[in-house]
Order: sequence, then structure tokens, then C-alpha cells
Amino acid sequence: MSILILEQAKKSDLIIERDNFDQYVLNHCAKYLARKEGEPRHNYNGELADSDPRAKIADQWRFPIIDSYGDGSGNPACYDYNLVTFVYAADDAETEHRISVVGTFANLYERLPLQQIRFAGEATRYYALSVKVPKGQVHTYKFCVDGEWQLDPINPQTAKLDNGVTWSRFFTQSCAVPLTFERWERVILERLTDHILPFHTEEGERFLKNYYYYLDRDSKEQNYTPVYRLDEQVGVVNYIDKVLAREERHHLIDYKICLAIIDQLLRQRRRGLEPDRQSREVYMDLYRQMACNDVVGWDYHQYGNPRYFLQLVRRHTITGAFSHPKYGGNISGAGWAFLGELFCDDKGKTLFDWRRSIEYPLGLNEEYNG
Amino acid sequence: MQTHFDAVIIGSGAGGAPIAHTLAKAGKTVLVLEKGPLFLPQQHAPSGVSDYKRDELLATGAEKRITLAVANRGQSYYASHVEPDLNDEPHIYRETGKFNRRTPGDYATIEGYTAHVVGGGTQLYGAVSLRFSETDFQLHSYNEQRTDLKNDPNDDVRREARDWPLSYQDFLPWYEMTERLIGINGTSENQAKPFRADYYQTPLDPNPISGYIAKGMDALGMKRFRTPLAVITEDHEPSGRKVPRDPDTAKTGYVNRYGDPLGLKSNTWVSLLAPIKDLPNIELRANCTVTQLESDGYGNVNRVQYRDPSGTMRTVSGKVVIVACSAIESVRLLKVSALANHDFDRRIHQNDLLGKYFLTHCFGGARVRVPERFDKSLSLDSDWATEFCATDDYLKSHGLWAGAAIYNNTSDSALPISLARTLDAQDMDTIWKSFTERTELTGDQLLEWLKEDFGTTLSVAFMANQVPLYSNRIELHPTIRDKWGMPSAYIIKDWHSHDVALMDTIARECARILEKGCDLAEGSVQGGGVYLAENGLARIANHILGGARFGKDRRDSVLDVNCRAWDFDNLYVTDGSFMPTSGGANPTHTIEANAFRVAHHLLGRL
Ligand SMILES: Cc1cc2nc3c(=O)[nH]c(=O)nc-3n(C[C@H](O)[C@H](O)[C@H](O)COP(=O)(O)OP(=O)(O)OC[C@H]3O[C@@H](n4cnc5c(N)ncnc54)[C@H](O)[C@@H]3O)c2cc1C
Repeated sequence: MSILILEQAKKSDLIIERDNFDQYVLNHCAKYLARKEGEPRHNYNGELADSDPRAKIADQWRFPIIDSYGDGSGNPACYDYNLVTFVYAADDAETEHRISVVGTFANLYERLPLQQIRFAGEATRYYALSVKVPKGQVHTYKFCVDGEWQLDPINPQTAKLDNGVTWSRFFTQSCAVPLTFERWERVILERLTDHILPFHTEEGERFLKNYYYYLDRDSKEQNYTPVYRLDEQVGVVNYIDKVLAREERHHLIDYKICLAIIDQLLRQRRRGLEPDRQSREVYMDLYRQMACNDVVGWDYHQYGNPRYFLQLVRRHTITGAFSHPKYGGNISGAGWAFLGELFCDDKGKTLFDWRRSIEYPLGLNEEYNG
Repeated sequence: MQTHFDAVIIGSGAGGAPIAHTLAKAGKTVLVLEKGPLFLPQQHAPSGVSDYKRDELLATGAEKRITLAVANRGQSYYASHVEPDLNDEPHIYRETGKFNRRTPGDYATIEGYTAHVVGGGTQLYGAVSLRFSETDFQLHSYNEQRTDLKNDPNDDVRREARDWPLSYQDFLPWYEMTERLIGINGTSENQAKPFRADYYQTPLDPNPISGYIAKGMDALGMKRFRTPLAVITEDHEPSGRKVPRDPDTAKTGYVNRYGDPLGLKSNTWVSLLAPIKDLPNIELRANCTVTQLESDGYGNVNRVQYRDPSGTMRTVSGKVVIVACSAIESVRLLKVSALANHDFDRRIHQNDLLGKYFLTHCFGGARVRVPERFDKSLSLDSDWATEFCATDDYLKSHGLWAGAAIYNNTSDSALPISLARTLDAQDMDTIWKSFTERTELTGDQLLEWLKEDFGTTLSVAFMANQVPLYSNRIELHPTIRDKWGMPSAYIIKDWHSHDVALMDTIARECARILEKGCDLAEGSVQGGGVYLAENGLARIANHILGGARFGKDRRDSVLDVNCRAWDFDNLYVTDGSFMPTSGGANPTHTIEANAFRVAHHLLGRL
């Protein structure tokens, strides 16, 4: 079978035939969507209503499927795009449906049809469509199922548009658009993660000066990262913003509650002083108290275990600093580059040559396409 | 859709793929039913991008939580993209609290799964591909007259040790076939086992950190050889794979627990299935979970039920049916089939041994910080191995029933996130725990910790036989079910006191290698066996063996010498479950060799 890849603006001219589309879609669907019974096994933290059918789906966040894009030729220009695959799962394979998607990634109000996926020559309950979307973008979309508009029944991400209408949402890799946090929340989180990471050490500051602030413009643009607020924490807060929007939505509530409590208690401690103007020492104290689960002024009624939240932030901070930049942190590989510069032999040769393993143009490996 | 085949093979990993390869090449019609997806390396993907990536968050993904009614409900877990979802398809193990302070009860665990994807566990494996030793095949005879075994007051070892119905010599041609067809690099010199022919490709240069290992092994008079690894370093004719201009491209920190986007790691997809995929007589149905086997009342499995990728129930049949789902899942499938079908039940339970004598390995090792720093992110899984602890001399002088392979790890903790998440934890159940709890690691202290541990930790591991025990077993859990409504596997296992003694003894040898290699005082390095781990009872090392052992005596085994279930004519089981003892080395090479052997038996009857 073939895959229809629709270029953004002039879709029909640029349809690319591709083998194995059906296999590709089934590969990314069956484990999560195929099941016999409807037990809500996948509601971790009450982030879904009990009646939400999504609670019966494993890893709902994997939809639409956001994947690397390649055209088979190894053309480096492909690196600027993701392959985004929308999936609709009907109740059964027998009844045929007409399903299309409309979204901001294509011409507005242009309905792009999903095709019914086949398995061993027979119809399945899955319908899918792949489109090519630039990295670093956020889009909203809706499905039209037999003439009726609806949100994506799998993907839990939604966005309320200015006119108050809710749409389904997805974002592509290396996205720096804030989705989760307000500015004040980001500020507090930056200070906390800043305290965890080693960039306020002597080595850290030297690195940031030499390497990061002077990263040439080109390489910054190449990695789709507006310089916006992604400075000292190598994008960790942006990573957390994204992981809470997608993979770990169930922790959004922890962050929302705790950041509000922290905001309040910091204001109380230094009456009137905005949290972002308070000193490093204030955050160090806060960190230490949270680690001991004994925080002066903490609202334990609202959130019983500040240490638990701190542990969560620790995991997210390290992951954000050192995971692949496509997840939104480790901007341009800055976290890796820090280690790569810190650890050298006496001839100055790096002892963490991450660029050799990682795909070009982020790294230097031209065999591996990412 | 075709529904009848010469052979229906369930599972495409080490136990299934060699059979598919052999039968398809001989022109038989073959259907492979594989639960997992068909994830491709770059060269097979039309887009040129692989479903496997050098990405730390694919090996150990986002946090999920256990929602099942088990003792660790609410606990976090982190699985790879090709491991099952634990809430959908749990494995449950019984914690007794014997070796640690865990509260007794039933726990869900991700230990005990290999990988659910075409290629099975061989997609994620470290690719250490050792043959078993000659003694490993004869542990009953070897121990029959012994009175010197440590910590075995009830004589369990002598009672429970079994000879395999075949010897090392019998396995030799199949080992050779595996080495040739899979694509393995290594050196045969200094291996204690007899080699007739050498099919190894030339190993790449070792990571310089392994120099300490070479030095330590030499100082102790341990003969060493390059650890055989299923990674091609030269163009591989049987599978048509080509090595990039710079073969060192295979070296990376993304080795163990990562699929290889470049297809250089020799998994059963690239080595055995891709080369036959275009033959008209083979079909691979990925994303299809087999849920039941039915028998016709005359000793034949006449229907194989599976759920297709939509979840729709379908059936197929084969002249022969081969079960190779990895031991725990194979036992479960057989037991679930027995629940639903009286004839099947009677035949598969002709004795009560199905699921009994479940095995993993005694494993463990030692770890140090070496005085210099190395780039561990450019390596394969292991460089040096020794069979020092598998010789007759060694076993007799240490009162041990069976030997072990020792090898160093080079790619462990090579990357920053893995360093953090495996701090004080090496297993899937306790990952991230220590790093998040050690809240003092921030800023300067975090930097100090990185300086101490990044590129400086060196570990030596051992893999040894576990004493087979009737009470170590796989059952069906009485209450927990998977997303298909089928009872989940219930793992009940313990370490024997001789296992503990053996682990202590061999862990000490690993520690000595490091002491000698790094010029440290004797006794300064602490080694340990897995039983010491916080969840030492759950730990399986991804080596899932036994539970349907083969043998010559139908009263003492589940399968006959050809891995056919005794009271069936056409039902075979060929994953790790056939093993009567677990061998003193990583199991995959032997599972594959055995599957090639069974395949040739099948050619004789199809
Ligand atoms: C991280 C890791 C590292 C490892 N390192 C090594 C190593 O260095 N050396 C070594 O020798 N071994 C290693 N192993 C172990 C190795 O992977 C296994 O020993 C080997 O794959 C077992 O072969 P098998 O045939 O028993 O099962 P598998 O290879 O796991 O194959 C079982 C297959 O059956 C499929 N399946 C299961 N249930 C069903 C069903 N109901 N219907 C259809 N299909 C089903 C599964 O999806 C899977 O593909 C490692 C494993 C892991 C996970």
C-alpha cells in the first residue's frame, strides 16, 4: 500500500508514494488501541474523568504519531520536518466510514481524507493519514467522522481557541512554544531547576559563557530554538512544559498545585517581593525544606508531600537537560556539550564524543538518520 | 487471507526466527504470528528513518503508574517502547521478603519481559553470544558423586540437577550455524570449549577502559578472549548486510536496551527474517497476539487463535505449531489453552511439570571507579570474557555445582540520563528511585558526582547456572488479568542457598579482576550477587528460561528431545523454556542453536 504525504501548501502536487503505510500505522497502533475489554487501566492520577474512554487506551499521548521524517534519500532538508500521522479507530472493521481531518497544518478548512488501513489484505478498524509538518510548531485540528465534527477521541491534548471553541492539539519536535506554564510559573520553576543543575558552578558558568551564549546564530536557527528564555537551564523548563503537555500529563496537577503554593509562600516570606526577584538563597532554603518535607508556610492540605514534588522536578530536570533536543530541552545539545567540554583528556580531546553517535546536523554521524 | 500453513510459528525472537528461516528456505509455507510491531532498521524503512533511535527516552520512557490491584499499586515504572504496557499485560511475582525488606505480597513487575517486537529480545539485547560449556550440558552426571557442594544441606543440587538429553558435541553444528547465519564477532582462542571451525568476524578494537580488565585477568592467570558479540563488523554475506565505511559507527552508548537503527546488531529480524521476507511461501503477521491453542482430541493442535491488529479474533492452522513467546509467556499460553480445552489440558499436563523449574541465571558482579576517565559512549556491550570460573579445577576447589562466564560491561552508564536513573539501581523496577531520593545532589555536588562517575565506572559481570527447583514456577495468577481478559503470569521463585554461595564466590572473582586491574588492595572491592538487590526475587536479567524442559523421560520433562510436547504430535516449544538448566552464559545463542536443530528435525517430517 502507499502513503500519502501531503505537503503543507500545495498538497496534491506533492503526493509522495510510500510502501508499507498500512504496516507502519498498525505498528504504532495495535499495542495501544487493540484490546478486548473496557477497563480504565490508564488513568494514573485522576487526570482523566472515569468515564473518559481514553482511560482504556494505553499511552494515549502517542497520538497523533509524531515521528522523524525522511524521504528515503537521506536528504538533510528532511530533518526540518516531522511525519505526523493521524489515526482514527472505529468500533469495528465492518462498517465503512468517511473520515477526514482539518487543521492549521494545512490550508484552513481543507479536509484531508484518512484512508482505511488494511491488514493482510482485509479492512481494519483503523483509518490514518500522514502529513509532513515542520518541527517546532503547534497545531490544532478536528476530525470529521461521517459528516460530524469531533475532537480526536484518543489524543487528550486540546486547546481552546480565542473564540472559546475547543480543538484537538499536537506539537512537533523541538517545540519552544509555551503550552503548559504561565510566565510566573516558569519563573519559579527556572529558579528551582537552576538550583539542581550544575550551571552555577564555576565550570558551568565558564561553559555557558564560552559555548552557549556564543553559539553561532546559524546553529541556533538550525535547531529551531528561538533564544527565548532557553538560557541557563539549557531549556529544562521548556522540556517540562512539553512533557506535561504530552507524555506525563498526569503530573500536570502536581506542578500546578505546587507552583501556586510556592508562589504564595515566597510572597509571604519576603512580603511584597516578586518570586523572580528573590535571592538564590531563598530558593536554596526552599529546596532544602522541601527535601525534608518540612516547608514553612506550605499548604499541606492542598498538597501533602512537597518532597515528592521535588523528586519529580529532579527527574524532569535531569531528563530535560540531557535528553535528545527534540523533546524540548538540551537545546542544540547544550547539555551534552557541557559534559563534552568538561570531560577531556590531557590533550584536550573530549571524553564524551556525543556528536559521533548523533545524527547530522545535530551531531556528526552521517550514517544514522535520527 | 491464507489460513493453513505447513508451520505456524508464534513469536519471532531467538526461538522462533531460526525455524521460520530454515523452513521458508526449504520451500515450506510458514506463518509467523508476532505480537509486537515490525520495527525496521534504516535500510529497510522506505523513509530511511528507523523506528529505533539513539534516544535515551526510548529505552526507558516516560513515567507510568501501576493501577492494578497489587502491592505496588501506584508505583512508578518506566518501560521501553517495545516492552508491554504493564497495566495492560502485567507479570506478577510473589515477594516473600526473604532477601530484603520488601513487604510480602504480589507485585507487578516489568522484569521477566524481553521485548515485544519482531525479533523479540534480540532487538534490545546486549548481544553477548557465548556458547554454553561442555559441563553445562551434563550437570547431573557432573555432580552425581560430589559431596563437597557448598550450602546444600538437603542435597537438592544432586537431586535436581539434570543432564540435557544432548551433549555439547550434539550442539556443535548448530552453534556453528548460528554463528555463521546470525553474524557474530569474537575470538575462539582461549575459549575452553572445543571449536571445530571459527565463524567469528573480527572484533573491533576494545574500548580503552577495558585495558584494566585485560590487566586484571592476566594478573590472575585467567585466560581471556574477546566477548563474542552479535554485531557485524564486516559485510555479512548470509544476511546481505553491509558495514559502513567506518565500522566503528556501530560503537555507541545506545547499545543494551536499544534497538539498532543501523541494523548492525544481529537481531533475528536483520539476520534471519529480512533475508527471506520476499519469498512467496512466508508470511509475517506482526501486531498479532496468539490467545489460545486448541487440540483436536487426537494429539494435534488444530487451531491457533489470535487477535489481529484491530483486536478481532482470527484462527489459523498449521501442520506443525511452534510456540516461541519467551518462556513465561509460552507457559502462560499453554496454561490458558489448557483452561479452555479439556483435551489440551490433559495432554499438556500429562505430568505436572509445565511451568515448574522456571529458571533465570545467578548473576551479579562488581564495579569500581577507575583512576582515569574514558569515553564509554563509543563502545559495544562488552570487550573481554573469561571462562576461568567454569573449569573443572575451579568448580571442585570451590565446592560449586556449575560454572559461570565472566565478562566486562563497557556500555553501561555511558550516557548521562542512564547514569542518573541507574544510580544504585540496575533493574527496571527501581530505576530513578535513588537519584530522585538523593536530593543532596544539586549544583556543585551534582557536578562532583558527574565528575566521579561519568566515564569512570567499570563493571564486571558473571552469568551462572541457577539450581533448578520444582518450587520455582510460572502459574496463572488467580485474579489479575490482561487486556484480553486472560489470566496474567504469576512468577514464584526463590534463590537456593547454593545459589547464594555461588553468587558470593563468583562475585568475589569479579571483584578480584578489578582489584588487580586497578592496583587496588585485595578485598577493597565489594562484589555482589543479584539476591542482594532490593527486589532480588523479581530479578531475571532478561534471561527467561525453563518451565517446559526437554528430556528423554516423559515423566521428568514437558518436551521430548525434539522439543515436541510429549502427548502432542505437532506442538513444539522452542524458546528459552526448553532448558533443563540455565547454562553458565547468556542464553540467546543456545536458544537459537536449538531452534535451528529443531527446524532440521521438522524438515524431516514436513
Ligand atoms: C536489555 C536486554 C539485554 C539482553 N542481553 C542479552 C545478551 O547480551 N546476551 C544474551 O544471550 N541474551 C540477552 N538478552 C536475552 C535475550 O533477549 C533472550 O534470551 C532471547 O531473546 C530469548 O529468546 P526467546 O525466543 O525465548 O524469546 P524472545 O526473543 O523474547 O521472543 C519471544 C517473542 O514472542 C512474542 N510473543 C510473546 N507472546 C506472544 C503471543 N501471545 N503471540 C505472539 N507473539 C508473542 C514476543 O513479542 C517476542 O517477539 C537480553 C535481553 C534484554 C531485554
